[in-house]
Amino acid sequence: MPQLVKSIGALAAVAVLAVGISQVSAHHSAAMFDFSKSETIKGSVMELRWVNPHVTVTINGSRNEEEAPAEWLMEMTSPGNLVRAGGWRRDAVKPGDKVEVVFSPLREPDKKMGLLKQLTVLATGEVFTANIRDQEKPGLE
Amino acid sequence: MSGTFVTGLLASLLAVSVASAQAPKKPPTVINPPPTAQDWTDLGKLPDWSGVWNPKISDQDAQVKTNPPPWNDAAAKKIQFMFAEEKAGRPRLIFSNCLPEAHPSWMLVTHNAMEILFTPGRITMLGESDGNRIRRIYTDGRGHPEVSDPTFHGHSIGHWEGDTLVVDTVDIVPQAPLAVSEAAGLPNNGDMHVIERIHLADKDILQDDLEIIAPKILTKPWKTSRIFFRQRARKFDIVEGVCATGDLAERVDANGDNVFVPVQKSEWGHTVAVPAK
Repeated sequence: MPQLVKSIGALAAVAVLAVGISQVSAHHSAAMFDFSKSETIKGSVMELRWVNPHVTVTINGSRNEEEAPAEWLMEMTSPGNLVRAGGWRRDAVKPGDKVEVVFSPLREPDKKMGLLKQLTVLATGEVFTANIRDQEKPGLE
Repeated sequence: MSGTFVTGLLASLLAVSVASAQAPKKPPTVINPPPTAQDWTDLGKLPDWSGVWNPKISDQDAQVKTNPPPWNDAAAKKIQFMFAEEKAGRPRLIFSNCLPEAHPSWMLVTHNAMEILFTPGRITMLGESDGNRIRRIYTDGRGHPEVSDPTFHGHSIGHWEGDTLVVDTVDIVPQAPLAVSEAAGLPNNGDMHVIERIHLADKDILQDDLEIIAPKILTKPWKTSRIFFRQRARKFDIVEGVCATGDLAERVDANGDNVFVPVQKSEWGHTVAVPAK
C-alpha cells in the first residue's frame, strides 16, 4: 500500500507539472507589466474569466493590419473592483464581441500578455476601464 | 477482619459514592452569554460604521517611501532586494497560495473593500476577495487566551474609548507577512503585537491608526495610519470572492458536467495560459 501511495503521489506530481499548476496563486504585484508603455490591439473576445483575485480576458487580435491575429491574454483587478471602478459586469463582453483594448504589455515582448487599461466594445462604443485608484472618495454612485 | 467491619466499610464506601454522585456540579463558565434586549439597544449608541469601506490605495503607495517600517538590518537588506526585483519586473510574491493577507497586512495593503458588523460583545470585519478574510474582535471584556493558538488574523480584543475602537491583537502566525506592498514584505517571525485605534476621521472616512510591534524584524514599533472611504451604492455591496478561482477556468468536461480546470501561472503570480474550451 505505501508503494501505491508513493506511485499515486508521483503521478500527481507529474500531472501537476504537465498542466502547469503552480502554488503561486495570489494577490500579486503588477510590476511584471511595463507601465511606461501603452499598446492597443483590435480583435475578438475569446473568453472573460470573472474570477478573483484577477479577472482575465483573452482576445484574438493584432496591433496593426500587418500583424497576424494571435491570442492575447489580458489581466485586470478583482471583479468587485472592476464593477466599482470601471463599470464592468460579468457579461460586459461575450465571446465573439469585436473590441479594442489598450494595455501595458508584459516586459517580455515575445509573450502576448498585458495589463488591461481600457476596453471598448466596437459595436456599442461602451468603454470599460480598470484603474482601482479611481474610487478614492466616499459616497460614489 | 470481622464480618461486621467489612460490612461497615462497604456501607461507608457506598455512602461516599452516592454523596459524590449527588454533589452539585460546578456550573460551566459561560463566556458567550445570550444578549439581552439592552445589549442590542446599546449597539445603537455606538458610532455608525455601516456601509462598505474601500481603501485609499494611493496613500498605501505613498507611505512605502514616506513612512517605511523601521526594519532591522537583516530585514532592510531583504526589503531592498524585493524593491530591486520589483523595479526589474520580477515582483516577489508576498501573498502566495491564496493564503489570507493576514493581520495587519490586510489593513495595510489591501486593494479590496470590507464591511464591519456590530453585534453584542463582538465586532466583525468581513473583507472581500479571499473568502476567508475575517477579523473577530471581542468587545465583551475577555482577555487574550492563556495558551497561544496562532492564526492568520490573531486574537483580537477591543474596547471603546469614546468613539474610538481600541483593538489589541496577538497570536498571529509567524509566517504572516508584514507587508508594505504586494511585492515587499517579510514574515513577522513571531511575537508580533498590533494595537489599533479605529475611528471616523470625517463623516464618511474611517481611519485606522496602527502601532505594529514586530521585534524579530523591526528595531522599534512602527506607527502608521490607513484610510477607508464609506460607500453606500448598491454596486459596492461586498461580493463573494474565492482566491483559488484565479487558478481555474470554467469548463464542461466529457461527461457534460460543469467543472473547474487549472490555468497556468507564472512564478510572479499572473496568468500566462488558459486551457482551450
